[in-house]
Amino acid sequence: MRPHEVFAALADPTRLEMLTRLARGGPATATELSSALPISRQAVAKHLAALSAAGLVERHPAGREVRYSFEPGRLGDVVRWAEDVGDTWDRRLDRLSRSIDG
Amino acid sequence: MDEERYEELAGDIAVERSISLPADPDSVWEHLTDGQLVGDWMEGDVEIDARPGGRITMTPEEGQVVWGTVEEIVPGRRLQWSWRTDEGLPTQVEIELEPTEEGTDLTVRETLLPWKTSGLPPFWVDPPYPRAFLSAAA
Repeated sequence: MRPHEVFAALADPTRLEMLTRLARGGPATATELSSALPISRQAVAKHLAALSAAGLVERHPAGREVRYSFEPGRLGDVVRWAEDVGDTWDRRLDRLSRSIDG
Repeated sequence: MDEERYEELAGDIAVERSISLPADPDSVWEHLTDGQLVGDWMEGDVEIDARPGGRITMTPEEGQVVWGTVEEIVPGRRLQWSWRTDEGLPTQVEIELEPTEEGTDLTVRETLLPWKTSGLPPFWVDPPYPRAFLSAAA
């Protein structure tokens, strides 16, 4: 895996969001991920394939399903950055929404 | 992975969030450009000179001052600034408003900026993440 392929796999907000969910919530199937994200199961599967090819997720076949786990390797800090920034904006937008409502 | 490579790739790493707000874009815009109102939801003291080249400064309740420059303003539609986070990372924040029947859809995107071309004065404050980026592919 060449470095730029790893970064290319991360350089998509949806994929980065999927990784932060796997990092935080633990292993999940494509179906579980698609129910938590505003994209189809097919789109999730496609993103998972890209992440898997980049070595950022690992496949764990379990019966008819496949569970995916986050493999941070040395890129854990990128995902941690995305988690921090995502949490901050979630909090800010929640406050913005409440201050506009009020 | 060298510094040059990080510079090239940083702009591709972004976090994005969206929210639907029950107010028209002009009302939302006020909450984005009036320092007092911005401070209410950004959790800190905010000063914003809402014009291209204007300064934006946020003094959070905890942590270090975050400051940067307003880059683009389209009233009621789009606001963009670059700043250096309290971890010393330069990032760019883009906020877009889209009118809807119920009010406004707001999307915010925060992107890692290359160090050298971020337009922010150069100083190095022991940044944890860029070093991780550099070592990630070493």
